[in-house]
Amino acid sequence: MTETRTQQSAFHVAEPEGTYPPTEEMLDTPVDPGLKKAREDRLRAAWKQPTGLRYWSAVNNSEVGAWYSLTAFAFMLAAGVLALLMRVQLAVPENDFLSAERFNQFFTMHGSAMMFLFAVPMFEAISILLLPAFLGARDMPFPRLSAYGFWSFLVGGIFVLSSVLFGIAPNSGWFMYPPLATEAEGPGSDIWLLGLSFIEVASIAAAVELIVGVVKCRPPGMRINLMPLYAWYVLVVGAMILFAFPPLIAGDFLFEMQRSFDWPFFDPERGGDPMLWQHLFWIFGHPEVYIVFLPSIAIAAMVIPTAARRPIVGYSWIVLSAVGTGFLSFGLWVHHMFTTGLPSLSLGFFSAASEAVVIPTGVQLFAFVATLMVGRVKMIAPMLWIAGAVAVFTAGGLTGVMLAIAPFNWQVHDTYFIVAHLHYTLFGGMIFPIVAGVYYFYPFITKKKMSEKLCRLSFWLTFTGFNICFLPMHLTGLIGMPRRVFTYSGDMGWNWLNLISTVGAFILASGILVFAWDLIRPKSRQPLTERNPWNGGTLEWAHDIPDPGWGVRAVPYVTSRYPLWDQPKFIERLDEGRFYLADAEEGLRETLVTSAVDAEPQHVARVTGPAWCTILAAAFTGGAFIFPTFHMYPPAIVCGVLAIASIIYWLWTSTAQVPKTPVKDVGLNLRLPTYVSGAKAPGWWGVFITMLGDATAFASLVFGIFFYWTARPDFPPQGTAHANLALVALAAVLFSASWAATRIARGINRQGKVTAARVLLGLAPLLAIAGAAALIFALRLPGLAPTEHVYPAMMWAMVVWVCAHVGAGVIMQGYCLAGSIFGKLTPRYDADLWNTTLFWHFLIITCLVTCALVGIVPRAMS
Amino acid sequence: MTRIEDKPDDPPPYRHRSIWHMIAAPVVWSLHFAGVYAWTALSCARFGGPDEARLGIALATAAALALIVVIGWRAWKQWDFLDDYDDVHDAPTTEHRREFLGHAGWLLSIISAIGVLFVAAPAFYIGSCL
Repeated sequence: MTETRTQQSAFHVAEPEGTYPPTEEMLDTPVDPGLKKAREDRLRAAWKQPTGLRYWSAVNNSEVGAWYSLTAFAFMLAAGVLALLMRVQLAVPENDFLSAERFNQFFTMHGSAMMFLFAVPMFEAISILLLPAFLGARDMPFPRLSAYGFWSFLVGGIFVLSSVLFGIAPNSGWFMYPPLATEAEGPGSDIWLLGLSFIEVASIAAAVELIVGVVKCRPPGMRINLMPLYAWYVLVVGAMILFAFPPLIAGDFLFEMQRSFDWPFFDPERGGDPMLWQHLFWIFGHPEVYIVFLPSIAIAAMVIPTAARRPIVGYSWIVLSAVGTGFLSFGLWVHHMFTTGLPSLSLGFFSAASEAVVIPTGVQLFAFVATLMVGRVKMIAPMLWIAGAVAVFTAGGLTGVMLAIAPFNWQVHDTYFIVAHLHYTLFGGMIFPIVAGVYYFYPFITKKKMSEKLCRLSFWLTFTGFNICFLPMHLTGLIGMPRRVFTYSGDMGWNWLNLISTVGAFILASGILVFAWDLIRPKSRQPLTERNPWNGGTLEWAHDIPDPGWGVRAVPYVTSRYPLWDQPKFIERLDEGRFYLADAEEGLRETLVTSAVDAEPQHVARVTGPAWCTILAAAFTGGAFIFPTFHMYPPAIVCGVLAIASIIYWLWTSTAQVPKTPVKDVGLNLRLPTYVSGAKAPGWWGVFITMLGDATAFASLVFGIFFYWTARPDFPPQGTAHANLALVALAAVLFSASWAATRIARGINRQGKVTAARVLLGLAPLLAIAGAAALIFALRLPGLAPTEHVYPAMMWAMVVWVCAHVGAGVIMQGYCLAGSIFGKLTPRYDADLWNTTLFWHFLIITCLVTCALVGIVPRAMS
Repeated sequence: MTRIEDKPDDPPPYRHRSIWHMIAAPVVWSLHFAGVYAWTALSCARFGGPDEARLGIALATAAALALIVVIGWRAWKQWDFLDDYDDVHDAPTTEHRREFLGHAGWLLSIISAIGVLFVAAPAFYIGSCL
């Protein structure tokens, strides 16, 4: 039955060879103890952590994930201190503990830090830390990208948060509404915009990494219907980040152009409209709530089956709920804008969608409850936090149903009722499940246990304190206390309620502190944990104790949702190294890449090891964003160039390397290619996913044009000059030629016509640069001045966007040309050229749409 | 590569292993949502008024529901529930993967249809652009 057949395409591209799936006999074949030891030694050497100062150059997921989560937790504690100081100020009426200005800075930073420096990064951090283990993978597909994301986050987070110490923090609220934020004095708004844009870029990087991880790095056999639910949630949330963050990045871009160069996007006197910011912010902001909630509730989906000691009930229903919530959450954004005077018909759509999203959210809670009902529940300590999460989140969800009704919303808009609602959803939907996750996964992460006694103590303090703090706020809001006031007069009837909330806040903080102590208290005298302390069924509990650093002993063959429960000899086979990639003969770090739906083995991916260039790249990227905050543009440009140089160095020296042999034996009679290009390669998927996000940001700018057209009678203004049509047409032709040259170069390079491909790759950047120049002159010649009116400003914004992207496209073309000349890119090993072509497919759409929007559409509009 | 698995003579259709088909119904929901929102903004601000807005919403809703019914029906066929009354799909087989994707696609069609109806409902009651 087993025959071996070699498949090779016309261009000698290596294909998988051998047998798949493995037979039971193959999996039962014993491994010689000497060989087993030698293999383990080689693996351990390949995955050895750098020591001493070089420890910080580590990039593997267990280190980066741990740093990332601890950093996010530290930022959370800092933001929590701001909240406590605000509660002290509000404890009694007419208090002068904080000035109004400081109070404004504190509530702005509290919200911004909790959302941007804690909630979203915490998801990324925990996923980086745990996802490879859930998937039986050695590491994430792009470890250096995770490291780059982390260091960027660290630099940006410290920068943004420390501004509060110097009294220059942003003070216009976490959603930065213009005109308050655009007119605000001092660098506060710029710190918010540039610092957080920088972190948003890091979030998108993490999303790319996580999506590729889920889609391409599952173990052989783990078909899409067997994925751990956490992976489903990561997939959904990763996709949501791609569509939610880019509108905010586009908004930040417009906002910063107004702050720095006086382009009047949000200035009504020159045709702008502050409402555009609100739309772009909340198109991001509402999905973000679900981006925060879904991965946390995903932790519950991992803990509950273990506690119930049975598989989850309604797997398909939970997938429905995750995917359905992901979609519907994009139809809710205007419920933050119910009082802005939009047509009531439009409000109705958002009100209705806000009610509809309750259905999938409810479905998953019912699936959890059903699992607990039919299982034999063992009340393990983390379950306490899960139970608290369900209770608190349900209460927050119910006030959400109330707030989705526009007339009720008008009554309580901007009162403490909102503050109560959002804290109930975020504490119940995020803090409680995350803490449950920390208690549950701590033995996996550190191989030690946290204290059960402290777990219960911190839970009851947190749960009680939380409710004492936030339950009264519903009433405070209903009787009229607005949010964001630094003090209030004593005769409003709010005194007792505020005092109770302040007392609750401190009880809550004491609970969090107990948890923090339990998390970081020294545990060196404590024994190592047993291997599977909760008796879970998923792959992470097959970990090795103590941690040998290699992630997983061998990449397993999986046939169940709960391999540790259902696959009889699983642990024995894993420990013996009888699965895939049990060895590291060449001393390289490797993991297995499989097909997207059925997880059939496709490729051995060489993953990158420790490096300093990622830290350098992050530091310089930080400089490129931080210097403009203080209007220091020359050092910013220098930093930008150095950041690009570091990234090119990193890519050149460690990605898509020409392998020594085209195929490699991965064990169990299977040989896999060591190099793939095109849609099988993780790198191609990385580019594809990044560009989806990029396309969303571009679409947000396009939305801006049509928004102004519908919202403003003077867009474009009567008798205004338009772009030079001939030059716009020339630009479109030149961009198309550059794109075609790149695409043809890919084809003929494969056929071995290397010289012709090089000529095309040399020509393509020149064409692209000429196109960008033509587009710039198309606006310059008719004298369109971006500071005069929002119409020329919007046209210039599109052109700046295109030129920046053409710059990246040109660098990529040059990179491929250099690769071809220096032997990194050959007819057979051409992944870089595939990725560049893919980038250009997206870029040509951006360019042509821009040409149409700059050249043709405004003439039709006026 | 040799796959130790029974190979049917006719390769199964792509939809049996496609996540894109699974999420087709919510994609229709999003297009309907965006279309209805944009159409209302345009007809209230630029041409016509509430009547045009409501007519367009009615047409878009009918089209979206029809599409979702087709998508849901095909997902139901792919789920193939009535052949073995199986709704768990946790085996490592091609059949279970097909049924799982069909089942999830069918459930998503239901939620998308509800979403479309919800979003269209305001136009049933509100006849003004104010």
